[in-house]
Amino acid sequence: MDSFSSSSGPPPNTEALMDQIKAQLAQAYAQEFLETVGNKCFAKCVTKPGSSLSGSESSCISRCVDRYIEATGIVSRALFSSTR
Amino acid sequence: MENSAEMQRFIEQEQQKAMMSEMVGKLTSVCWDKCITSTPGSKFSSGETTCLTNCAQRFLDMSVIIAKRFEMQ
Repeated sequence: MDSFSSSSGPPPNTEALMDQIKAQLAQAYAQEFLETVGNKCFAKCVTKPGSSLSGSESSCISRCVDRYIEATGIVSRALFSSTR
Repeated sequence: MENSAEMQRFIEQEQQKAMMSEMVGKLTSVCWDKCITSTPGSKFSSGETTCLTNCAQRFLDMSVIIAKRFEMQ
């Protein structure tokens, strides 16, 4: 904590603050993504909710999650890496 | 203070990233609803892949047209 007292070099807390911001942003992105994927795949795979998730619903969900991640990549490439 | 310049640059970078990430997220959602009409399989059909790509690019084209439309007034 006495790192403030050293007179040379930049205050070390700038980097720590950036790391903290980055970590929080990463968490926020992940949370939002999770929520979206959940909504999309629930809509696609659980059309008539029963007393428990069936095996086919579960496998649909895991396929759906994989496809949604893939779709994100396709859209991202279409937007940013195209020579148009 | 050189730190505040560094922080400023960092924040601008992160804002840029956040904007891009929001756009990708929104377009993925819109284009998923448009293009993936059946239950997701273990692989996208080529039609689905093409649809996703076209959907994202046409959305951009549309944004340009809408922006122009408002400039005209």
